[in-house]
Order: sequence, then structure tokens, then C-alpha cells
Amino acid sequence: MGSLFGDWPSFDPHNFSQLRPSDPANPSKITPATYHPTHNRTVPPPNQGFEKSKITSVEVISTEATNILLRQFYQQAEEKLRPKRAAAEHLTPEHGCKQPKGSFADTSNSLP
Amino acid sequence: MSPFKTPKKVINNVAQLVHCARRFYENLVPSYTIYDVECPDHSFRKFTDDGQYLISFSRNHQDLIVFRPTWLSFSCKEEDCDPHDLPSKAKRFESFFTLLYCVSLASSNEVICKDFFLYMGSNQFGLFATSTAQFHDAPAIGGAIQGIPSIEKISFYLVRLEDGVILDEKVFYNDFVNLAHSMGVFLYDDLLAIVSLRYQMCMVITDKGRQHELPVNRVENGLQHNQHIPGSSFLSGIKQRLLSFIFRGIWNQEADHSLRVQCLKKKFYFHFQDYVDLIMWKVQFLDQYHLLIKFGSVDGGVSRNADHHPAFFAVYNMETTEIIAFYQNSADKLYYLFEQFCDHFHATSRNSLYMNFISSHSNNIHALDQLKSMKNKANSFSQFVKKMLASLPFSCQSQSPSPYFDQSLFRFDEKKVGTVIIIEQAHYAWS
Repeated sequence: MGSLFGDWPSFDPHNFSQLRPSDPANPSKITPATYHPTHNRTVPPPNQGFEKSKITSVEVISTEATNILLRQFYQQAEEKLRPKRAAAEHLTPEHGCKQPKGSFADTSNSLP
Repeated sequence: MSPFKTPKKVINNVAQLVHCARRFYENLVPSYTIYDVECPDHSFRKFTDDGQYLISFSRNHQDLIVFRPTWLSFSCKEEDCDPHDLPSKAKRFESFFTLLYCVSLASSNEVICKDFFLYMGSNQFGLFATSTAQFHDAPAIGGAIQGIPSIEKISFYLVRLEDGVILDEKVFYNDFVNLAHSMGVFLYDDLLAIVSLRYQMCMVITDKGRQHELPVNRVENGLQHNQHIPGSSFLSGIKQRLLSFIFRGIWNQEADHSLRVQCLKKKFYFHFQDYVDLIMWKVQFLDQYHLLIKFGSVDGGVSRNADHHPAFFAVYNMETTEIIAFYQNSADKLYYLFEQFCDHFHATSRNSLYMNFISSHSNNIHALDQLKSMKNKANSFSQFVKKMLASLPFSCQSQSPSPYFDQSLFRFDEKKVGTVIIIEQAHYAWS
């Protein structure tokens, strides 16, 4: 069995002679080098990696269930339905009813 | 990493692949028209988006007739092919289309609605509708809304297009569903929403797996028509949810109690009856749990000029039965969402990848330029907003994913193309 590069020309015929394509009958016993982290700042999610982690919180990138448009709707709803804190004493009665900024319903258009 | 990159890795995602394939169409454009072809006397409706079928109806609108298109079949290998005439067989309808079958869908006093057709591309099913005549002055009995016409019998048919076998049928009696341009129905994956305007109900039908019987999954605790209980002003279903949402929004705007009450009087109680009188006009899916619903007055549906009648949009979560959002049709906030995220209003099925390639002002710079130029030319921003939002909720399958309508490849005059791509102003069937 020839080298990985077969009969490719090379300066020295003994170059690459150590490289052998893997033989299914005789699998290579060389284990590839692996990386073992020396810190836990980049721990993979709990269901991956070779070590069960004792880390309590792991940041995992995942797909959001709702699309961006729906997230916008929910965000606007949250802003709208969040109760306003009571204002300080300098809110005087003669200001009347405040016009909400960017109202969802343009209430200046009166309904028929 | 291997130093030997294969060319396959250059195109490493499907979207890129599809865009490459679509750009090929810049070189393949229609350039020849054949006139005076003798065609069978049918009412030709539509090619399915995958090019597999040509849908047509008999002249009396009672039979479904489906053809298989035979695509490219002639080639010229010479240097200059233009002077060549096409062979005589090109003038024959049969050279391009093979009749697959003719199936009767409507009988006696029913007709097939020629504007109604929805295609389920993944399994090549087609949804058709037949109806009897409309009655305009139908009495408002049994929970029906006054002012909406009634149709004695509306039938929906699920047909396997490969062989014309009718797989399922759903019938509505003395009801009204807006069948024109499939506006009263919305298909999303295996969910089918049907809006009964007459009874103010939205039915969501699911097709589980390969069953062809469509079990009805009515949104029980959500969308129900107003129950007029004598002596009681109790509102149920979505109307109650809507009013509650509006109330809470106004309540939370003010921290001071007396201001709060003033705001409620002016914005809520003053308009209370108008809100109660709103009816559901049209519905679309935003995803499998969320519906975008258009509300308006009964008169607004009848009138050609919808400008003078208020219209509202609500986002409804079918799972939690909550209203998430409520906007008037002139709302800036809703318009900005429409401008930025138009694509997400086109809820596209997981199964039809090519539907993701429809040009819109959110994914195409030329379309965005057109929109901005319209915005700048508009006399009133509020009118412009109403006009743009009038296209919501989108009608299902109303836009073609054809590369010829891709605005990154071609520019075209929408008016000359007609209603093929966009139906902007939805005028309802009874007006």
C-alpha cells in the first residue's frame, strides 16, 4: 500500500512515506490530539462536552420561539400594560388628561 | 481544517442556492407569444406555484378540470434562432397541456367559486369552494349579524390534484364566508382558518398527519359570536378580551386616579358601544398560535370607500386566548412594524421554502425605494398609513413567488400585471 499521496512526485521518495491511508482491517491506533480546557469560562451546554458540568448557569444560544414581529407586539403590549408609578406631588390637576405618546389607537380620531 | 476546500462549500446554505438559481431567470425570459391557439372552452384559473398543475373550471362552473403542463419541449441549436418559426405543433393546446381529469364539484344550484383556490404544495392537495346564491336581506337569526348576507350552502372540498380524488368536504349552511380571492380563509401549514362573517366565528381546522378527515378544532374559549342574552349585557369570547385589553391599556396610562377616570371616560366609555359593535372582517395567521384579526363596522364592510369607516387590527394568541395588541388602522406604530417586518406578516409555511423569496419592501431595496417615494408623495401621512395597512391581513397565497416578480431581478409595472400579485384594496363580495 502506497503513501497517502500515491505516486505523486516528490524530491525525496521517502517523504510522506509514513502517511498511510487507513486500512479497515487494521485501524490506526493513533488517537488524534484533543483539547482539554483549563478553565470553565467556555463550558459547552450541559448536553454537550465530555464532562458533566457543575456550573449552575450556562449561556446557550438557541432559537427564539416567536418571530421578531411577534416579539415587537409583545414588547409594545408590555410597555402599554405596565402600570405607571404614581407621580410626585408636582403633577397639578389643571394639566388635564395627558395625551399618551405614540398611542396605539389614534384616539384623536373620533369614532362615528 | 482541511486545506483542500471543495467547491461545494462555497454555496453553503439553501437560501444562497435558491438566489443563484433565481438569477438564472435573467437569461430565460418569455420572448415569443403564440396567438390564435384553439383552446378548450374552459375558465382557466391558475398554475400551481410548483408548475405541476393548471387549474381550470368548466364554463358552467360546476366541474374542476386539471391539466398537467408540459414545459420546454422545443429547442433550436443554431447561432441565430430568432428568424425560426416554431413548429406547427406549437399552435396546439395539447402540445402544452395534458388533461388529467374532470371532476364534478358543484351540482344543481351550486357553482364553484372561481376566485377561490388554495394549494397545499407539500402533498399536492387543492382546496376549492362551491356555493349557492347569496341572499342580501337575510334575517339575523340564530346569532347571525344583521347586515351580512347569507348563503344557503357553502362547501369546501379538499382534492388530491394528482388524480382528482375528493379527500374531504366541509359544509356550512346559511352562513357567509368571504370566498372571493380566498379572503375568508387562511391556510398555514396544516392549519386552516375559516371566518364565518355571519356568525362572527373563526374556525381553525387541523389536519393531523395523513388523515384526510379534518377534525374541527374550534377555538372554544376564544372566538365566539356575541351572545345576546335578554336582560344582560354580558359579552363573551374575543370581544370581552378585546375590551379588557383596551381598558387595561388606558388604565395603566395614568397613575393619578382622577386623571385615570377622566381618560377612561373620554377614550373608553365614550366609544364603548362602537367597540362592542365591531365585527371581525378578516383573519390571518402570524404563526401557528397567533392570529392577526381585522375589525370594523358592518357598514365599513359594505362601503366601497372604507376610508370613512374606522378599522382596527388585533393580535390574538389562540393558546392563551389573550389579545396581545390592538391598533387603529391609522396607527403609526403598526405602520412602522409593517414597514420594517413586512415579511413576517406573510406567514409562510415551513413546507414551502420558495414562498420565502417573495419581494417585499422589507427584503428588497427597490421595493423599499418605491414605498418611500409613495410615502414622500402622500398628502397626508395618516391617509398613507391607512392605505398601506389596508392590505392587512394578507390574503393567503395572494402573491406569486415567481422569479419574474422578484424585484431584485426584474422591474415591472404592477398595473399591467393586474391582480395577479397583490390585491391591495380588499373589497368585499357583497358590495
